[in-house]
Amino acid sequence: MSATVETAATPPILEARHLHLSFGETPALRGASVSIKAGELLAIMGPSGSGKSTLLHCLAGILVPDSGEVHFDGARVDTMRESARSELRRRRFGFVFQFGQLVPELTAEENIALPLLLNGVGRADALGQARGWFDRLDLGGLERRRSGELSGGQAQRVALARGLVAMPDVVFADEPTGSLDSLAGEQVMELLVGAARDQGATVVLVTHEPRIAAYADREIIVRDGKVAALVGATG
Amino acid sequence: MIRLGLRLAVTGGREAITRLALISVAVAIGSGLLLTTLASTNAFSAQNDRYAWLETGYPGAEPSAGTATSGTTASDPLWWQLHGDYFRGRLIARIDLAATGPQSPVPPGIPALPGPGQFYASPKMADLLRSVPRAQLGDRYPGTEIGIIGDDALPAPDTLIIVIGRDLADLANRSDAQLVRRISTTSPSECTTVCAPVGTDANGMILVLSVVAAALLFPVLIFVAGATRLSAARREQRFAAMRLVGATPRQISRIATIESAVATVVGVVLGFGLFAALRPLIATIPFSDERFFTSDLSLSATNVVLVAVGIPIAAAVAARVALRRVNISPLGVTRRTTPRPPRPRRLIVLLAGVAWLYYLAYFSDLPDSHESAKQAYAYLLGVFAIMIGLVVAGPWLTMIGSRFTARRAKRPAGLIAARRLADNPQSAFRAVSGLVLAVFVATCAIGIITTIVAYNAGSAGDPTYSSGTLVRWFDRAPEYLDPVTSISALAMTELLGIPGVDGVTAIHDATFDPDSTVKAPPVFVATCAQIATTPALGHCPVGVDVVSVEPDFGGAVIDTSEPMSEITWPASDLSTDQLSTMMIESIIVSTDGSTAAVEQARTALERLYPTSLGYAPSTISELNSRSTREINRYRQLANVVLLTTLPIAGCSLAVSIAGGLAERRRPFSLLRLTGVPLRMLRRVVSLETAVPLLISVVVSAGAGLLAAFFFLRAQLDERLQAPSLQYYALITTGLLASFAIIASTLPLLARLTGPETARND
Repeated sequence: MSATVETAATPPILEARHLHLSFGETPALRGASVSIKAGELLAIMGPSGSGKSTLLHCLAGILVPDSGEVHFDGARVDTMRESARSELRRRRFGFVFQFGQLVPELTAEENIALPLLLNGVGRADALGQARGWFDRLDLGGLERRRSGELSGGQAQRVALARGLVAMPDVVFADEPTGSLDSLAGEQVMELLVGAARDQGATVVLVTHEPRIAAYADREIIVRDGKVAALVGATG
Repeated sequence: MIRLGLRLAVTGGREAITRLALISVAVAIGSGLLLTTLASTNAFSAQNDRYAWLETGYPGAEPSAGTATSGTTASDPLWWQLHGDYFRGRLIARIDLAATGPQSPVPPGIPALPGPGQFYASPKMADLLRSVPRAQLGDRYPGTEIGIIGDDALPAPDTLIIVIGRDLADLANRSDAQLVRRISTTSPSECTTVCAPVGTDANGMILVLSVVAAALLFPVLIFVAGATRLSAARREQRFAAMRLVGATPRQISRIATIESAVATVVGVVLGFGLFAALRPLIATIPFSDERFFTSDLSLSATNVVLVAVGIPIAAAVAARVALRRVNISPLGVTRRTTPRPPRPRRLIVLLAGVAWLYYLAYFSDLPDSHESAKQAYAYLLGVFAIMIGLVVAGPWLTMIGSRFTARRAKRPAGLIAARRLADNPQSAFRAVSGLVLAVFVATCAIGIITTIVAYNAGSAGDPTYSSGTLVRWFDRAPEYLDPVTSISALAMTELLGIPGVDGVTAIHDATFDPDSTVKAPPVFVATCAQIATTPALGHCPVGVDVVSVEPDFGGAVIDTSEPMSEITWPASDLSTDQLSTMMIESIIVSTDGSTAAVEQARTALERLYPTSLGYAPSTISELNSRSTREINRYRQLANVVLLTTLPIAGCSLAVSIAGGLAERRRPFSLLRLTGVPLRMLRRVVSLETAVPLLISVVVSAGAGLLAAFFFLRAQLDERLQAPSLQYYALITTGLLASFAIIASTLPLLARLTGPETARND
């Protein structure tokens, strides 16, 4: 089995080539490669400590690999300066994490509006766009609630809306259902997949649950820092 | 359980040790400052007692009928005369004495009474006598030095005292010498009516020090509390894990108490060590205008017990209270949600304090009474109420300010900061509350002091001449039987022969009549020929020989808008010849302001016209400083306090910011992962500290000025003067230091919110 999983004729929007990254003495990635097409929903699976989150963080420009390359939309991400990577994440990427990502002081609508505000959209306009997400996510009436006043599922849906509101090209979701029960988890996944499809966004999803990975177009398995297996493929 | 608590406290890894060290340092600084305050209070009392013997012979220091007589009464009385003298602006206590027999009482600090032609000097005085030319100082004191006055007779190590033995007949003839049978043991603060001109009432200082202690201790408590809250989340997670394996809430509470007690006990021990080590250094701090004897800066047994037992108990109670705010269940820690927003009723205490001072200023007749202790307590009550009121109302004011800001925030940093402030204004305000109290106390004190100093300076505050013009006053009391009516040619030649002396003017009292019992307001006159040589005294109209003058050398309450040197006096009907038969009220000597000229002229005046009552010849600026001496001591105290409080308040600010950052490391680090630039997070942190800081400084400075305004209105019927530049400099320095502290915590933000935080938490 090749450590590299190649897909397809259309050029990938996001690609990692032979990534190596160690934390101190501990290697996390050992030559991982993956390429993702625009609009594709890729699930990265693997056991705990396999390096799947590290791979996602490298793809998203959060971590810089020790060696190897990351390309996004024709540009080298791994050689960019931190400020350029921050801007890339802010303007082109969206994120959904497992928990604790909402700013506790802000209301639900302000949390969703935050990426727009950061991109310079006016306050009224940003809040208007944010409010548009509430009915869609079945959160009507919760606009003024704080994160502490939302259930886990509700908070995760708010986080989802925040990840998508700025119309990102790629949404990175790291165990987005990890802290939810199966029903709430499925609800979040359906919304994520539906919204991403509507916007034509690419989704990179890290999960260790096959049930959640099943929402993806394609699954890869990371083991010992390498992309070890491909499960299913897009045409 | 105790052993487990101890083990957890000291072997909990680097984080636990850091926390323990930080709390210990905070407690050490806190208890060190508390010990210093208590010891300073004791030192003021001790210094006050050391002044007691200088009250000898003053009616206010005599034991009243019916009270037990303190001090032994000698069978041979002692002739005693005390004067205040000056050298380079420093006060010298000069005692002339003559024994009437072998049993005459001996003052403390000297083995026996000096005989005629002998004197004892305090160590600093002896140094001066040795190092300064005799014409400038030594010639004022007849005789030779036979010994040094011991420490037990000195109020402060640098006090200038000279005890001169005089011929019995000579001293007995002096109008102000008194026959005393005992050396006073009544301190200046116990002295009731007429008291010695050299002592100071320590009660006022101690009273002020109690406000100081409150102003000082509050920031320290905030600092300690802030330090205990650091990394509280981690500790609480550990407690949750212990609950999971079966620990009861009671056991958890006990462990938490032991943990904080260990840190506090270590801190208190360090605090005592710090105090002991720095005591000689603290003694050199001029809390008022004199440093203390190190031995006076001591602690009573009650003080020691209070600090050694009180602080650990207070810390243990604080730890329990803090733990009650979180609910540690076996499944984790749940915070008891967002604290309830503060209500407007938090303003009540502040308003009540202001209303009380307003009442005292406009409606109460207490300020007109002469019960100064009652007045002081009444004002302190108001000041304390405002201090407590500011701390209680601060969160409400912060919330109102931040809600206003949140509604208008256009950028995410402003929005997040304002929301956080509005959400938990208590914690935001806590970070700056120490500064708030420091600013309030300093503003109030400086507002009052600036106004009183300006008020006392009267119209004489012309700096051009005040330090170079000497005034020798003569006694106008009817018992003064041998009035001086003219300056002899010899005296004039001697005075004018001193290098740097420009002129001499005699001011005559045209109304003085030793035989009259009617007290008429005095009319002072002087010749224009002399006035022309002493510019501090003003001018004559052209072609006039004699003018009526109303000299004001400061200390008097005269609302003259122009300095005396610019006044043109009205002509008098009297002739120059008539003046030569009139009693001289004062002699004014104008010099070039150099130390040599001033001191040599003073020495010459003292020899030519030995001081009969009160003070030796003084410059106008010395006269001014005499009337503002007490108030300048308070000003000095206010400055010392402000400079001590600011760094402590700064430490507590830094600890609070660091604590706030640690609390939010996860949401902040996730925001950074999503591309939020670090500078936006920096802006959030800066704004959430700067906004309450600025609101609080404005409110507390306003409250301080208001309290000063009411005090001055009631006590002096005087309008508040604008604070001096020094005040603005202090406030600006405080604010800049705070901003520097905020800036210094920002690198922590980068470290706390790095990608590894989001990965590992």
